[in-house]
Amino acid sequence: MPARRKVAVIGWDCATPQLIFGPHLDAMPNLKRLIGEGVYGRMRSSDPPITVPAWTSMMTGVDAGALGLYGFRNRKDYTYDGLEFATSHSVKRDRVWERLGREALRSIVVGVPQTYPPKPFNGDLVTSFLTPSIESPYTHPAGLKDEIVRVLGEPYMLDVEGFRTDDKQSIIDQCTRMTEQRTRLAEHLLAHHPWDFFMMVEMGPDRLYHGLWSFTDPEHPKYEAGNPFENAIRDYHAYLDACLGRLLAAVGEETVVFVVSDHGAKKMDGGICVNEWLMANGWLALAGPPPVEPTPFSKCRVDWSRTRAWGEGGYYARVFLNVRGREPHGLIPEAAYDTVRDELAEALAAIPDNRGNPIGTRVLKPEEVYPIRNGIPPDLIVYWGDLGWRSVGSVGMGAIHTFENDIGPDDANHDYDGIFVMRDPDRPGGGRELEALHLRDVAPTILGLYGLEPEPDVQGRRIIF
Amino acid sequence: MSANPSEPPSGPRSKVTLKIPRELYERLQQVIQGTGFGSVTEFVVYVLRDLAAVEKPAETAEGLSHREVDLIRQRLRNLGYLD
Repeated sequence: MPARRKVAVIGWDCATPQLIFGPHLDAMPNLKRLIGEGVYGRMRSSDPPITVPAWTSMMTGVDAGALGLYGFRNRKDYTYDGLEFATSHSVKRDRVWERLGREALRSIVVGVPQTYPPKPFNGDLVTSFLTPSIESPYTHPAGLKDEIVRVLGEPYMLDVEGFRTDDKQSIIDQCTRMTEQRTRLAEHLLAHHPWDFFMMVEMGPDRLYHGLWSFTDPEHPKYEAGNPFENAIRDYHAYLDACLGRLLAAVGEETVVFVVSDHGAKKMDGGICVNEWLMANGWLALAGPPPVEPTPFSKCRVDWSRTRAWGEGGYYARVFLNVRGREPHGLIPEAAYDTVRDELAEALAAIPDNRGNPIGTRVLKPEEVYPIRNGIPPDLIVYWGDLGWRSVGSVGMGAIHTFENDIGPDDANHDYDGIFVMRDPDRPGGGRELEALHLRDVAPTILGLYGLEPEPDVQGRRIIF
Repeated sequence: MSANPSEPPSGPRSKVTLKIPRELYERLQQVIQGTGFGSVTEFVVYVLRDLAAVEKPAETAEGLSHREVDLIRQRLRNLGYLD
């Protein structure tokens, strides 16, 4: 094993390359310096490009299929309501810090999604926004919680509260406060706890983009020139960069530093109500009259004897078929599965926007995306308008297309590419732009810095430059 | 194994002594060098806690109580991940 390395991964959830590597870079001198001394590039996210499974894919080196994690909630069986949350217990492989722990290397991990409930490992861990509340045991070891309260002098912010609000200043204020607080906590942990590997994920960019994208992007349908929040995202990026500067000082110049995001962002044109469409086109039937107000699909009574497919909402759609012998009241004969699924995939891909224009929806079959499919994948994965439109699972919206959301405004959807920046003091990169990076490559690259080989079935490859 | 001097003082009955082969003890002394573990005891307690935690029954398959599931569902709905 070469001389002892230290590695720090600074994660910015959703940080998007067209802004970070584009017009905002001049407002980010610390990141600019890292890029100049290292390498950088756009980094392809997981499928689906969403926080869960993206960060776990990045930290294991395998895709959602191998993880058996297709989103925040996954089918645990073929019943109609058998969805369970993807918690730390759902991650069946070692993430980088767990692997390093087995090699007697110690880690500090702060805010990485899918770490609640905290699992014991060789180091200190603060869980992520996917934690029920700060009343929960959100640290490992458990006593670290008291130390956090003592160091911060205020309650720890797991997340911003309610970013779907018209009070935009509140989102900005909360994101800034959360970022400052997490940076202060990281500085403390880095200074007072031993570590070989450090990782922190800041959720602020994601929350701010979803809340304020339409105020900053002239391409967004709701954009108004000269609005008071026109520079909100750039200003927050500048603040994030100032916090990056503090973290760089805390980890030291000899440390290999990564700055990464799990996916990017782009404007959202609207939402497609997947279950409304399925009902209108004879795929899904409710028992009784449809609700007249927006109602979560899980609250609706479905007539499964007349239902061939149903869908889940979120930033992409998952569509499930009601297959005889598989689901409790399955309708589609197993022999017809492929034909029926093709028919549905074609119809979903052809749904136009509200004016009848094509939107370029991508419909994916799990076996075409994932070489291995653990757990229960959806029958179809749908990126409406190639991620320009979100998926709405609720029914009672009264239309296939929606531009308002019953739980508040949301301006941005996720995009395929996140950011990758790496500065290794032993290997100057000269600001070179790397291509064809995939977030699965990050784990094997980190392990390589410690002289460790990834497990044989890891799909990512070491990034060499 | 000696008690870890960095741990807070506790009552005489709060800890017990385990015996392990000296050869293993010496091997572990090497393993923990430079890892941040202050003593073999600290390391062994960590490993054993890890093992014990695996066997701990969870209230749901996700390792969450039903109330926790409700809190996370609401949080995700507010965030737009569920819709």
